Amino acid sequence: MTTHTVQAGYLPGLTADEVAWQQLSFSQHGTRVDVAVPMLTALQMNALAERVRRASALHLKTMSVSDIIGVIDRAMARLLDRDDPFRQQADQWLPVVTGFDADMVRLGLTAFFKTFRAPQLHRFVAEDFANPKVLDGFQPTPKGGAVRAFGPDLLVHSWAGNVPALALWSFVCGLLVKAGNIGKLPSAEPLFAGWFARLLAEVHPPWVECMAVVWWRGAGDDGAAELYAQADTVVAYGGNDSLDAIRKRLPVTTRFLPHGHKLGVGLIGVSALDTLKAPPLARLAAWDVMRYDQQGCYSPHVFYVERGGAVTPRAFADYLAAELANLHRRFPRRAQGLDDAAAVAKWQQAFEWKLLAAEHRQDALIGGPTTAWQVAYRDQLQPLAPTALQRSIQVVAVDALESVMPVIGAQRRYLQTAGVAASPEALYRLADMLGAAGVTRISAIGAMSAPEAGWHHDGRFNLLDLVRMTEIENSAEMAAQPLARYAD
Amino acid sequence: MDKLAPLVADILDFIAADGCSDDQFDALALRLFAHQFAANAPYRSFCQQRGVTTRKVNTWRDIPAVPIDAFKATELRCAPPSEQERVFMTSGTTRADTRGRHFHPLLDVYDLSMIRNFAQRFMRGDARMPMGVLFPDEVAMPNSSLAHYLALAKSTFGSDDSRYFMTPQGIDLPALWQTLDAAVARGEPYALLGASYSIVHVLDALQAQGKRFQLPAGSRILDTGGYKGQSRELPLETFYASLSDLLGVPRTHCINMYGMTELSTQFYDDGNAEVPSVKSGPHWIRSRLVDPVSGQDVAPGERGILVHCDLANFNSVTTILTEDVGVARGAGFLLLGRAEGVDAKGCSLAVEEFLRATSA
Repeated sequence: MTTHTVQAGYLPGLTADEVAWQQLSFSQHGTRVDVAVPMLTALQMNALAERVRRASALHLKTMSVSDIIGVIDRAMARLLDRDDPFRQQADQWLPVVTGFDADMVRLGLTAFFKTFRAPQLHRFVAEDFANPKVLDGFQPTPKGGAVRAFGPDLLVHSWAGNVPALALWSFVCGLLVKAGNIGKLPSAEPLFAGWFARLLAEVHPPWVECMAVVWWRGAGDDGAAELYAQADTVVAYGGNDSLDAIRKRLPVTTRFLPHGHKLGVGLIGVSALDTLKAPPLARLAAWDVMRYDQQGCYSPHVFYVERGGAVTPRAFADYLAAELANLHRRFPRRAQGLDDAAAVAKWQQAFEWKLLAAEHRQDALIGGPTTAWQVAYRDQLQPLAPTALQRSIQVVAVDALESVMPVIGAQRRYLQTAGVAASPEALYRLADMLGAAGVTRISAIGAMSAPEAGWHHDGRFNLLDLVRMTEIENSAEMAAQPLARYAD
Repeated sequence: MDKLAPLVADILDFIAADGCSDDQFDALALRLFAHQFAANAPYRSFCQQRGVTTRKVNTWRDIPAVPIDAFKATELRCAPPSEQERVFMTSGTTRADTRGRHFHPLLDVYDLSMIRNFAQRFMRGDARMPMGVLFPDEVAMPNSSLAHYLALAKSTFGSDDSRYFMTPQGIDLPALWQTLDAAVARGEPYALLGASYSIVHVLDALQAQGKRFQLPAGSRILDTGGYKGQSRELPLETFYASLSDLLGVPRTHCINMYGMTELSTQFYDDGNAEVPSVKSGPHWIRSRLVDPVSGQDVAPGERGILVHCDLANFNSVTTILTEDVGVARGAGFLLLGRAEGVDAKGCSLAVEEFLRATSA
């Protein structure tokens, strides 16, 4: 086995021999990579935070949003260029550290990076700010007076590593609101964020000290405490337990934006279930299940399929299984660790025993212990519950999609993405109900696991939530007039 | 039951013997498998789905292992329900339909298995000693296999002054302190037995009250069952260090029992001077470490999921697939905790977390 060593993180103002390094090892398909991640003392973290805050005040807060978008766009152009060394190292190492299929990662990264080009980023800003110029200076408001949006001086990110390069969302959001950014690498994918920081510094050298990327073990030590204490705002991704642990460590005055566990669901209407439309739809559904082996917060766990079409829900389950089998040939599921394998086996065997015990003779498990995917078909309405991931999915037959709303609503706190295949009228009717139940994103089947640029992650405003608005009230403007040099 | 009598008699003889050869173990395992395959319809279907029949089972290793969740999904039994049967249920949630059930038409086999094993591994040759039980009795918890196990320990091996310290309000600490003081005064070895979480409560109380005991030489402690969310969780090292420090029982005499409602036989270690300790069972139970997907043995030295073949499990299934991760060590195995699934990496909801959240 060939072993490579990669240094992760991004620490402006600190040399490699000044900090302690922890080694995380990953191996896949005969290649091993040892990733060295930096561990800072409280003193070092404090100095780093101060440096980032000062540099971003000088070099980031003084730029216009359009110019910032220009820099990010240039970085994205580099990442989309397959001959660029940054892109090449992403293609080379992200499959090794995450275990995901190399082609799946390559296609996923390209699709992902495309959503961060300049036109998309301008839309992203316009999505949250009717007048994006409020990020650059005071703008007159219709009610009188003026308003300006200020991003945090120091924005701290705690990233998750379930999907490669996931850090981009919040990192870019932080840049767009001109925040100094310090992020904590996830142990499961400790590479991309540091590369991105280095790339930005290369594309636009004045930013060299405007961001940093660090790591700590578990809940962190004094260094983590120091950083959390200094942050104006903390964005965190991960399991609800770890989010809770972070929340408990923050001063009450720190703004905390958590993105926790989510449970995706698909709804397939009868109008999509004729013999012409159903097979390609099943292929799209399979893509949603396949992408990153269902590790995304937007990944589907259950497809509810309406009865009454030429293609029955059971036949749809068969199509889906066939497409999953095809996709496994093209993008093999990643190798399973003992814990993952145990979870999948438990889910599958629990279902088998239900079948053996069963009153529901129509239920079936398609695929089995030896396939790298499983489709559990249920003939009666079932609660919305997670599967074992790793391409395990439930297909549930229902008489009408409306009947699913109570079981979806029961999981309100875990809802985010619903994929819908239905006629325009049905789409809007269902969307009203899904929104009321707590769903925050409705996409096409096939687009569930590829959110569009500027989506409102977990129903929140990506940029608005980061800023505070400062108002010049009309009274102040009026009161200033008599004090002007030109006053009579 | 009449048809069953010869089989039960042979199992009792088997347990009563001092050991067995591989062939003897296989012979009884195969007889039990044939019996269970014939009498337990869901199990037969499960085996048939895997292409396994009695002809294909040549050693205990070939017997299809049943995941413990199956004890929740269906009634895994050979004998029909009867008035005198005992039902042991798993703890965890309050919903009856999600509790695993293990049916015992009679407890002779369970009891002999427990007594033979306990005498050797916990009593270590002593006939009786005074015992304190930190767990509810069988009246309070009629469906708890642990309550029955501890009652049996107390009635079979406890001297007359043995007693329970559990009340509806919790542990009767003043009475416990008094009893331990008396044992120290008499210089007579004492045994404390209970769920690991009850013992944590005792440790916490000792710490809070600034108390400690130096129990007489030969005293011992049995803990079992983990914490189940009923107390704070202590790392093994801290747990046994505190036990030894606050009760004066050397770690070689702090014994952990690993058992399951789905089994009729327990595993013990030989003390916890080092953790994790090596667990092993008596001659009528054997264990394998498997890949959970293929069911095949893992390579020697690799982590795997534990499968146990318990010949005392005559009425359900002999062979179960646990959710515990282990690694082989000597004649036994190290228990490395439960397989957790990988929910720590990100924000896609995993089953384990979901169940925790929804059962709360």
